[in-house]
Amino acid sequence: MFSRSFLTNNLRSLSQTVSHQYGAAQKVQFINFSARLQSTFKLNPESIASTYSQEPKLKFTNEHEWISIHPDGTGFIGITNYAADALGDATFIELPAHQIGEKIDNGETISSIESVKSASDIYSPISGEIVEVNEKLDQSPELINTDPMGEGWIVKVKVDEGSSLDELMDVDAYKTFVENSEH
Amino acid sequence: MLKTASRTISRAYSTDQLKPFQSHLSVLLNKAGGVVDDTIVTKHGDDSYYIVTNAGCRDKDTAFFKEELAKFDQDKQIVHENFEGTLLAIQGPKAQEVVAKFTNTPLADLYFGNSRFIDLQGFGTDAKFHIARGGYTGEDGFEISIPDSKVGVDFFNALLEYDEIVKPIGLAARDSLRLEAGMCLYGHELNEDVTPIEASLNWLVSKSRRSPESATFNGADKIISQINNPKSVSFKRVGLVSKGPSPRHGNKIFSAEEPFKQIGTVCSGSPSPSCGRNVAQVFLDKPYNKTGTKVKVEIRGKLRDAEVAKMPFYPTSYYKGA
Repeated sequence: MFSRSFLTNNLRSLSQTVSHQYGAAQKVQFINFSARLQSTFKLNPESIASTYSQEPKLKFTNEHEWISIHPDGTGFIGITNYAADALGDATFIELPAHQIGEKIDNGETISSIESVKSASDIYSPISGEIVEVNEKLDQSPELINTDPMGEGWIVKVKVDEGSSLDELMDVDAYKTFVENSEH
Repeated sequence: MLKTASRTISRAYSTDQLKPFQSHLSVLLNKAGGVVDDTIVTKHGDDSYYIVTNAGCRDKDTAFFKEELAKFDQDKQIVHENFEGTLLAIQGPKAQEVVAKFTNTPLADLYFGNSRFIDLQGFGTDAKFHIARGGYTGEDGFEISIPDSKVGVDFFNALLEYDEIVKPIGLAARDSLRLEAGMCLYGHELNEDVTPIEASLNWLVSKSRRSPESATFNGADKIISQINNPKSVSFKRVGLVSKGPSPRHGNKIFSAEEPFKQIGTVCSGSPSPSCGRNVAQVFLDKPYNKTGTKVKVEIRGKLRDAEVAKMPFYPTSYYKGA
């Protein structure tokens, strides 16, 4: 018996070839991928996540979220380039627009990112209050892929003064974490 | 490869007799009329059939054929062979143009749902390869069966050299196409507790197989009864469209008027790159299964608007000749 979907066993060496007339989504992914590579672990210096103040601290979680924390306690949260690559083209970002002004706990789900084949929850790296959501993502979910550590920021928060940052990784620790998880 | 008598095929399947080298979608049925697997069956001759089933169901399908064949004591010469090798699907409007570069066998008169054996040039083999026009994407295309793995890989690499018109894609992208084309995926739209009628596959039960004499397939009592008494079917597979977060396998569906009343479940769903909105196939209770009915899908704890829609979501374009 010969199997219609038997390529699941052989995906590494083989694949089906399809030239579907509406295959634009796949093409976009290739372009994004190459454009992103050089800035894998850095904030886009032009974006508000970076320019909000002079010296933001950049931290990472083991769920591949980043947060830039500014001296006045304002933070911007998004997902890393590594996570954006793994998800593929984002099709819809669920923003916590109805939670603006509300308290959130460290680890609480604040957003969900959908791609064609998956939906992934985004967890808050800190305790604090949701101040703003990036409404651009409603119309342009692709910002998650083109600039995940900049214009693709998801939520702006006011970090609680008592919120611990000890469990978050700095850039070197996150790099090592990503390298190890690739093995 | 199943080499067996037409009679055995008749028992395992609900579909009509085929002409030689004609293929048909069909289902393997259990005694309760549930679907053991869906398959493409091709008749090669009165005593030879070629059956493509799902890899994920391989063990239970093999057991199924063994059990069915055991019922035919007088037909002990029936042989069921599993085929090993490569299956390459070349799909899309330029599929014929691409495959024609590798074979001297004509393809222009090979229509959707038919198959033949072809030569493949340039791979150091005189062997003939089974090629079927189809591929479960809703598009024109071919599936080529290549028993020799080296030939399979060489052919695959040779195809990729036409990188202007050939792109490799994975199963997930192919799954988007079959979903847009409104086709069933085993384990999502089909399972052992769902009959072909509930799955809106009435057309798989050929008219000629619905009489008491001809309805000899497994689960015929229940299936024929459901065809004759549509009101006895409490739910059907239908299409759903929505904006925003996508319905996914397992999401619950509720009535728009009575949001506490569950009326269905999502079989599979995803954003549709071709349609620009979410599409889903769902099991929906009657009478909510009518096109245009507004429903609510529970996604991440919230009820979201969706609407029952006709399938296919994207028009199919099979090669059926002039």
